[in-house]
Amino acid sequence: MNIVVCVKHVPDATADRKFESDNTVDREGVDGLLSELDEYAVEQALQLREKRSDEEISVTALTVGPAKAADAVRKALQMGADKGVHVSDDAIAGSDYLGTSLVLAKAIEKIGSEQKVDLVVFGMASTDASGGVVPAMVAERLGLPQVTLASVIESQGDQVRIKRDGDTATEVIGATLPIVLSVTDQSGEARYPSFKGIMAAKKKPVESYSLSDLGVEASEVGAEAAYSAVEEATARPPRTAGEIVTDEDGSGATALAEFLASKKFI
Amino acid sequence: MTMTEQQEGTTHAAFTESEERRELRQAVRRLAGTYGQEYFTRQARSGGKTTDLWLDLGKNGYLGVNIPEQYGGGGGGIGDVAAVCEELAAQGCPMLMMVVSPAICGTVIARFGTEEQKQRWLPGIADGTETMAFAITEPDAGSNSHKITTTARRDGDEWVLSGRKIYISGVDEAKNVLVIARTEDARSGKLKPCLFVVPTDAPGFEFQAIAMEMVSPEKQFTVFIDDVRLPGDALVGHEDAGLVQLFAGLNPERIMAASFATGLARFALDKATAYAKERTVFGDKPIGAHQAIAHPLAESHIEVELARLVTQKASALCDAGDDMGAGEAANMAKYAAGEAACRAVDRAIQTHGGNGATQEYGMAALLVASRVMRIAPVSREMILNFVAMHSLGLPKSY
Ligand SMILES: Cc1cc2nc3c(=O)[nH]c(=O)nc-3n(C[C@H](O)[C@H](O)[C@H](O)COP(=O)(O)OP(=O)(O)OC[C@H]3O[C@@H](n4cnc5c(N)ncnc54)[C@H](O)[C@@H]3O)c2cc1C
Repeated sequence: MNIVVCVKHVPDATADRKFESDNTVDREGVDGLLSELDEYAVEQALQLREKRSDEEISVTALTVGPAKAADAVRKALQMGADKGVHVSDDAIAGSDYLGTSLVLAKAIEKIGSEQKVDLVVFGMASTDASGGVVPAMVAERLGLPQVTLASVIESQGDQVRIKRDGDTATEVIGATLPIVLSVTDQSGEARYPSFKGIMAAKKKPVESYSLSDLGVEASEVGAEAAYSAVEEATARPPRTAGEIVTDEDGSGATALAEFLASKKFI
Repeated sequence: MTMTEQQEGTTHAAFTESEERRELRQAVRRLAGTYGQEYFTRQARSGGKTTDLWLDLGKNGYLGVNIPEQYGGGGGGIGDVAAVCEELAAQGCPMLMMVVSPAICGTVIARFGTEEQKQRWLPGIADGTETMAFAITEPDAGSNSHKITTTARRDGDEWVLSGRKIYISGVDEAKNVLVIARTEDARSGKLKPCLFVVPTDAPGFEFQAIAMEMVSPEKQFTVFIDDVRLPGDALVGHEDAGLVQLFAGLNPERIMAASFATGLARFALDKATAYAKERTVFGDKPIGAHQAIAHPLAESHIEVELARLVTQKASALCDAGDDMGAGEAANMAKYAAGEAACRAVDRAIQTHGGNGATQEYGMAALLVASRVMRIAPVSREMILNFVAMHSLGLPKSY
């Protein structure tokens, strides 16, 4: 079985976020990492490979992004993925969801031209843009069923069953491979890269594709082709001191309840 | 080809660590961060242990990074396991048993143990399920380890061990203890050091916790060894090579202690700088704007960085097999790191004002641990003795 996990390199959420002059996210000048939500996707792909250890299963980590995005692939390789693919091209900068999904779909097709891809795994959303729509778009472009927001994944042969937790009900969805799957942060803690994994990742193959390798025109992607544009970016206002409820005469509880009610917490 | 490209493994060159070493640090930082100082002190104050963290480290392969791969380890070097130790401490979880179990015991057994001994003890050291303590210090032989009196005598195929050890860390958490004893040389009648692996549940082996002021779940013990019978193969390596074997464990010990100390110092400085940026007392400027606060912290940062650098040098020499060269650097690293840690913790407490003395801010809790780094595993005075004599060629003073 051939599994592709799509992984995104995102700015470290604990660091200050910066924007370029064109208001796109600065991806080069800040520390980045593999989106935490994508770690769950890598974990599920690896678990599937481990559960079906009697089969020949290969896990490829795929990323689209600037040079630094290779770190996301390497992290996936350290966790245990077998090989990596990094699509990088200056023309991709500023792509919207449609552009990104096009590049991903073409890359998956190229990976599949060597060995058919049975399963594409995504996280539920990226931690920077938080759209959560790319898995659906890629499924559409590939003409594959999309099975999204899975919290539990079971598979046997070419059958996959997932659980999707909704607000009012939990759905159980069955599908036949090949499919596009996205998994939530409830699917199980992602493993840490072991020391051996870190050392082994160095020797695992990573292929680099440009847009022309994928047969994508520069005009189809990037900021120019994007349907949306960021007009303005404003820094979050600094944290304010907050309100302190002092209780001197026994009225504290009432004041606290009133505050919570005014903010609609209760 | 640059220097770094020539490197194999996670060795150290050109004043920067390899990408893999840095990634190892990052992974450990993340795991340790999920535990943190709160967990560590909570366990310490409630009489609990840090077993969960220990086993988690083992499971992820961080504990035994320096143990050879065929015995369940990561196949890395001392520099790697030192990085793990440092990052743990930098997240508020300084683990003494990292120094002892994988680094001292692991190194000695991996280098000198028989094939059978390696297979029996290394995998448990690597995954944390069979931690090994290390016992050399005796009530009448601290800094002067030539004076140890714990003796082993042969009785048929077996050994019979008797003696007393003190300040031995983690005996309660260990399955075995690597005990330094002496045997009588058959020809000269002189006593020579030998290393024995003693199970902590062996009849005649008893231990008692020493009441220490250090805030740590890892305790120190007085160990009573009364006619403990051991099988012949409890002796590690060769009877005549005890001293060489012991010395092989000392560089890793010093490098690890230095990393423990720099990690501790980094933790204190991180907290102190964060506090100095937030706390305002006069006007609206944070206290960090006063040089009286900023300069000592900057100075400590420099001291810690220098200590780290010589620690990394010692690791690189040690991993390259240059025991002699590593000896000097490892001693200097241990010295520099101990001093840097004491000063960093002291300054971190000062920066916090009254909060520095509270349990909530966790700074005073680091005091004894940082202070111990000037005493154990080898005191600052003994290092100065060593440097004076070996590096400067001054007369022997002890
Ligand atoms: C928290 C902790 C954990 C420990 N864990 C272990 C362990 O796991 N295993 C183990 O075997 N040991 C352990 N030790 C023991 C430690 O290694 C010793 O405490 C250390 O080697 C110093 O020995 P001592 O305490 O006997 O001090 P002494 O040797 O009695 O020294 C007392 C003081 O005199 C100074 N001094 C002595 N001789 C000279 C000299 N010639 N010139 C100048 N100054 C001198 C010393 O530097 C020191 O300041 C631990 C100690 C502590 C505090």
